[in-house]
Amino acid sequence: MKQPISPRAGVCLLAAVLLLFPLVFTEAFYRDIGVAFLLAAISASAWNIVGGYAGQVSVGHSMFFGLGAYAPLLCYTLWGWPLVAGIPVGIALSVGLALIIGLPTFRLSGHYFSMATIAVAELIRIFFGTWALVGGAIGLQGPAVARGWWDLTFRGDLPYYYIFLAVLGLLLFVTFEVGRRRFGFYLRAIKASERAARSLGVPVRLTKLKALALSATFTSAAGSLYAVKTGFIDPDSGFGILVSVQMVIVAALGGAGTLFGPLVGALILIPLQTAANTWFGGSGSGLTFILYGGIIVLIARFEPGGLHELWRRLAPIVWRRAHAA
Amino acid sequence: MGRGFAEQSMVFVQVIVGGLLLGAIYALFSSGLTLIWGMMNFINFAHGEFVMLGMYAALLVVLYLGGSPVAFGAAAALALFGLGVAIYLALIRHVVRGPMLSQILSTFGLALLLRYTAFFIFSANFVSLPQTSLSGTLNLGGIFLPVAQLVAGVTAIVLTIALHVLLTRTTIGSRLLAVAEDRAAAMLMGIRPDRMQALAWGLSAGAAGIAGALLATAYPWSPSVGETFGLIAFVTVALGGFGSVLGSLYAGLIIGLIQAISAYWLGAIYKDIVVYGLFVALLWFRPQGLMGKA
Amino acid sequence: MLLDARNVTKAFGSFWAVAGADLSVAEGEIVGLIGPNGAGKSTFFNCLAGDTQPTSGRILFDGADVTRATPEAHARAGIGRTFQVPMTFEDMSVLDNVMVGAFLRHPHRSDARDHARRIVELTGLRPDQPGRSLGTPGRKRLGIARVLATEPRLLLLDEALAGLTPTELHEAIALVQRIHETGVTIVIVEHIMEVIMTLTRRVLVFNQGQVIASGRPEQVVKDEAVIEAYLGRGARSHA
Repeated sequence: MKQPISPRAGVCLLAAVLLLFPLVFTEAFYRDIGVAFLLAAISASAWNIVGGYAGQVSVGHSMFFGLGAYAPLLCYTLWGWPLVAGIPVGIALSVGLALIIGLPTFRLSGHYFSMATIAVAELIRIFFGTWALVGGAIGLQGPAVARGWWDLTFRGDLPYYYIFLAVLGLLLFVTFEVGRRRFGFYLRAIKASERAARSLGVPVRLTKLKALALSATFTSAAGSLYAVKTGFIDPDSGFGILVSVQMVIVAALGGAGTLFGPLVGALILIPLQTAANTWFGGSGSGLTFILYGGIIVLIARFEPGGLHELWRRLAPIVWRRAHAA
Repeated sequence: MGRGFAEQSMVFVQVIVGGLLLGAIYALFSSGLTLIWGMMNFINFAHGEFVMLGMYAALLVVLYLGGSPVAFGAAAALALFGLGVAIYLALIRHVVRGPMLSQILSTFGLALLLRYTAFFIFSANFVSLPQTSLSGTLNLGGIFLPVAQLVAGVTAIVLTIALHVLLTRTTIGSRLLAVAEDRAAAMLMGIRPDRMQALAWGLSAGAAGIAGALLATAYPWSPSVGETFGLIAFVTVALGGFGSVLGSLYAGLIIGLIQAISAYWLGAIYKDIVVYGLFVALLWFRPQGLMGKA
Repeated sequence: MLLDARNVTKAFGSFWAVAGADLSVAEGEIVGLIGPNGAGKSTFFNCLAGDTQPTSGRILFDGADVTRATPEAHARAGIGRTFQVPMTFEDMSVLDNVMVGAFLRHPHRSDARDHARRIVELTGLRPDQPGRSLGTPGRKRLGIARVLATEPRLLLLDEALAGLTPTELHEAIALVQRIHETGVTIVIVEHIMEVIMTLTRRVLVFNQGQVIASGRPEQVVKDEAVIEAYLGRGARSHA
C-alpha cells in the first residue's frame, strides 16, 4: 500500500508541529493542555516499554511515578537540594523498586507481575500517607520562588513545555533504537511466546528486568517533571491508581507496543479529559473514570492493538474504496 | 495490675476472634477467586468489586423489599451469580486465549467501570444496613461480639467448606475440576468446557456476592472497599495456594488474624500495609503458598 | 557420544511418565523416537530439551551435565528444539522471527540479519511475510528455520512433519536431510512411519515410560513387543 508521506517526513512534520505549537497558540489554556499532553505522552511511552513491547502488564506503574515525584521535593525539604539533583535519586529508587518486584515475579506467570504491581503501588501509597518524613497525607511542596535555574521552577508554561518535549524526544529515540536492536527483538519475542523465546536462547528473566528498569527510569523522570512543575505532591497524586490507569489507557488506546501509539492516545484523551472536567466540574472526574473503564474493556475485548491496529486493518479497505470511487 | 492484665487479654482475645470472623469472610470470597485461577489460569481484577456489589445488592433488597438476612443473602448470591455468568459469556471467554494485555485489562477495566459506576450511583459515603434481625451484641464470657459478626463469620466458614465439598465430592464438581486439569480430555469425556467455565464464574461471583451480603450485616462500607477486598483476595489466594479452596480457608483466617493483630499493635492505618507486605514476601519466598500449585 | 541420557525418569505425582530411559546419540546420527500416544516419548523429549526437569537420571551433552539446565542454557550449549504446536511470533515477519534465533550467536543486528536471510533461503520461506499469515506447514518450517539460526549441534524435532500433504511431506523430509548434511545431529519424534524409515538409521520405541526396543527401523517394526505395544495383545500372532 502506497503511503502518502514517507515515515521520515511524517516524523519531521510531527516534530515541527510540536516545536511550534506553543509559539502559535500562546494562551495559557493551550499551553496547559500542551504540557499535560506531553506529560501523559511521556508517562505512557515509558509504560509502553514494559507493558506494550515486552507484554508485561503493569497496573501499578504509579509507584515509579510517585517515587520520581517525591524524590526532588523530599531532597529539597530535608536538605535544601536543588530540585534537579533529586531527579537521579528518584530514578535510582525506582530502578531499585523495579528489581524488588521483577526478580521474584518474572520467574512466575504474567499475572503475578500484574498483581504485584497493584499491591506494591497501594502499599507505598498508604505508607507514604502515614509517614511524617514525607509529609504524610499532606505531602510535600517545592520552593515558592526559584533559587536558580536548577530548581526548574518557572513562571509560565513555556520552559516546561520545551523541557518536557525534550524528554519525550529522548524517550522516543531510546525506544526506537532499542526496538531495532537485539533487545527489542527479544522483547517482542517474549511478548509473543515466552516458551519459544526461551528455546531460542533468549534470557527471558534478564530481558524483562532490563525492560522494567528502563521503563521505571523514564516513568520516574515523568514523575519528577510533574512535581517540579506543580511544585507539590501527595500520596494520591503520586501513587494513586488513577495515575496508573491513565498511563495504561493512553498507551493501549493508541496502540501498546508501537512507537507513536502513546502519543495518539494522549492526543485523544487529554483534550477529552480537559473537556470533561470543564463541562462536568467535580463530578467530571468520576464520569471520566467510568468512561476509561469502559474504553479499557472495549480495547481488551475487541482491539488489544488499539487504534494503531484498527487503522492497520481498516486502512487498506478505505484505500481501495477511495481508489475505486 | 491483675485486673488490667485480664482486661487487656480480654481485649486481645476479642481482637483475635474478630479477626478470625472477618477472615472467614475473606476466605469465602477468596475461594471464588482461587476457583477461577485453578480452572483457567486467569486472575479476576474485578473480584473485589463483586464483593462490593454484593454488599450494595443486600442494601437495595433491604431498603426496597425488606426481608431477612437469608433473603438478601440469597438475593445477592443470585444476582452476582448471574453477573458472573454474563461477564464470562460476554467478555472473559473471548480474552482468555488472547494476549496478556487483553486478559489483564479486561477485568482491570471492568473493575474501574464497576467501581466508579458505584461511586456515581451511591456516592462515596459509607453506608450500613439498617437494623436487621442480627443486631445486638453477645457477651461470651467477657468478650463482646456483635451478633452479626459472629453469624456472618460462621456462615462464611460453612459456605466455604460447602464450596470445597461441591468441588471435590459431587459430579458437577468433578466436571469442573476435569476441565481445569485437561480441557481436551474433558471434552472427549463429553463435558463442555465452556459451560463449566461459565458455571465457575457464576460460583465465583456468587461466593463474592454472599460474602458481600454477610459483610454488609456487620460492617459499614463504601464503593472503595472493592479495591481493598480485591487485594486481600490476591494475598489470600497467594498464601493459600492458587487453585485450592481449602487453602483459601486457612489463608483467609490467617490474613484476618494478621490484619486484626496489626491494627491492634500498630494502629488501624497499618493493617493493610502489613497484608500487602506479606504478599510481596510470599512472591519472593513461597509463591505456591500453603497448599497449591504455582 | 554427543548426547548421553542415562536412566532418566519423570514422575507426575505417583504417575511415572518416564520410568527409566536411556539414549545415546553419536555426533552426526539421525535417531528416531516412536511409540504410541501416552508412551512417554514427549515427556522424555522435553527432559532432553530442558523444558521439564527429570525426577532422576543424568543427561550429558558433549560431556557437560545439562540435566537441570534451563531451556536458554540448552540453546546456548547447542541443543535446539522445535515445538509440536509451532508458536510463531505472530506480529513479526518471517525474517524477524528467524533473527530472534540468529541473535544468539550474532549479537549485532546486521550480522544477525545476514545469517537469518541465509537460513530463510535454505528453508524456502519468504522473508517479508508476516508470521501470522503463514499456514501450518509454513509455521512448522519457520519453527525449524528459527532454531537453525541458533546454530545447534543437536536438533530435537518434535513431530515437526505432522499434518502435511504428501508433497509438503517430501519437501520437509528433503529439508531435514539437507540440515543433516550440514553436520547437525538430529533426534526426531514422529508418528509417520515414512519419515522414520526414510530419515533415520536407528529408532527407539517407547511404551509406558520405557524403551522397549531399539535398532534399525526395518527390524524394529517387526519386533513383537513393538507390535503388541501399538496394536495390543492378540495382534502378535498375526504378524
